[in-house]
Amino acid sequence: MIFGRSKRQGKMSGDALGIFLFDEVSSAIRAEKILAAQEYEVALVAPPHHLRAGCDLAVSLPRIEHIGAQRMLEDADVVVRDWVDDTDGIAQVCDLVTVADFGEWLMVRAGNMKITVERATGLIVNTSGGGCPDIPYLNIELVGSTVWEAPRPKDLGYTLCGLMLDRAFCEVRTLLGCEPA
Amino acid sequence: MSLLVVATYPVSGGPVLSGQVRSEGGVLHVGEIPVPESQGTSAMLGAACAVSDYLGTPAPHALIAGDIGRGDGTRAVYAKLIQTVQELQPGVVAFHYMQPVMALMRKAVCDLEGVSPQPLLVADAGGMYAAKAAGVADRFELMTPDVGEVGFLADPDVTHPAYVSHYLFGTKGFDPPELIRLASQKGGSARVLLVKGKMDHISTQGEVVGTVEHPDVSALEAIGGTGDTLTGLAAGFMAAGFPTVDAALCACRANRHAGLRMQATPAMRASDLVAALPEVFAEHLCGWGGACAAV
Repeated sequence: MIFGRSKRQGKMSGDALGIFLFDEVSSAIRAEKILAAQEYEVALVAPPHHLRAGCDLAVSLPRIEHIGAQRMLEDADVVVRDWVDDTDGIAQVCDLVTVADFGEWLMVRAGNMKITVERATGLIVNTSGGGCPDIPYLNIELVGSTVWEAPRPKDLGYTLCGLMLDRAFCEVRTLLGCEPA
Repeated sequence: MSLLVVATYPVSGGPVLSGQVRSEGGVLHVGEIPVPESQGTSAMLGAACAVSDYLGTPAPHALIAGDIGRGDGTRAVYAKLIQTVQELQPGVVAFHYMQPVMALMRKAVCDLEGVSPQPLLVADAGGMYAAKAAGVADRFELMTPDVGEVGFLADPDVTHPAYVSHYLFGTKGFDPPELIRLASQKGGSARVLLVKGKMDHISTQGEVVGTVEHPDVSALEAIGGTGDTLTGLAAGFMAAGFPTVDAALCACRANRHAGLRMQATPAMRASDLVAALPEVFAEHLCGWGGACAAV
């Protein structure tokens, strides 16, 4: 699960949490992917206010799993800036998704990002919203491909805007159902 | 006055480009170097060029570098900013698609306050995120948030729109005038806000002073870059000498009328909107309050 607390983390909400801090959003996204694949109970969150530099993303997990997770990230060459035994003031990434019907086209908004596809084919005709520098790049890379053949925005992007676009992208895939034959 | 646009373009490792912007066969060039067409900076510059071409005012100057989200190009343009401002003495400086790095924005604004004459500051996109998160939003003359981003400006605890609470995000109970008031009260707002939406709201120091809702071209929301063209129009009009509120009102009207003229569908491009602007200006600009007085 990308957004919000994972099921396992939710179940064990009594466990004290800590957070890994990163210099780049893309490192946080990669760390979450690696740790989630190994059944660590992780969530992508905003670091506490006093630890933010701007476009920040952190990974929270139970403190008891800190050392093992850190070793796994080191083995995968993910650069961690720091670990903090304190989650006071963290914020969850917005998980609000809405849909707009343009007849032949379908637009999905996730937070501040939008993706528009042709209903019949899944062809990405536009991406919009956001303000981080990977957004125009993702627009160039995605428009003209179908949601079935295009790479995931979070695998191409580097920022929180890219992460929100990934959320919209996944929602479109879900709404369209199976890839047309 | 002239306009300096500080931003990035979507090419990994692309060099710093600094020069006047011109359109050649629909392709934007900074100096002699073409800039890739996309949403973002090229859409913003295209609209600003359309204004200067029509009004006969100086073309915008771009200070941009390649950046696909790693922040390298962002750091490169900040490093050249003050030198460029001192050389050009622009009347308006607009920060656009950039990595939101609070420390760099804070330093830039501080340095710009020492420049004479002081330019009017405009921010949209990552430039706006950085200005708000760094606590320097109130030093800006104009910001151009959309409905989600005005919630971000109103929420003092978040540093990026991705963390904005649901109730601030354009859903049920969404109240732009209240969010505009909150943003101003909490120090998250420029002096003038242009809030893009189904109805555009223009405010001064937290109070709504104008709205634009016609023509209603709903497909524009889906087209990447149509918010950027709006910012480019507003900044272009400001650089031509329009008062900021007039610039914002004219920008909203021009963007909507261009959408109507191009018969916008969600599959079109911001460049289609830019191409429609000269005819929109010719037909309407003199009729919009105060516009011809500045020509």
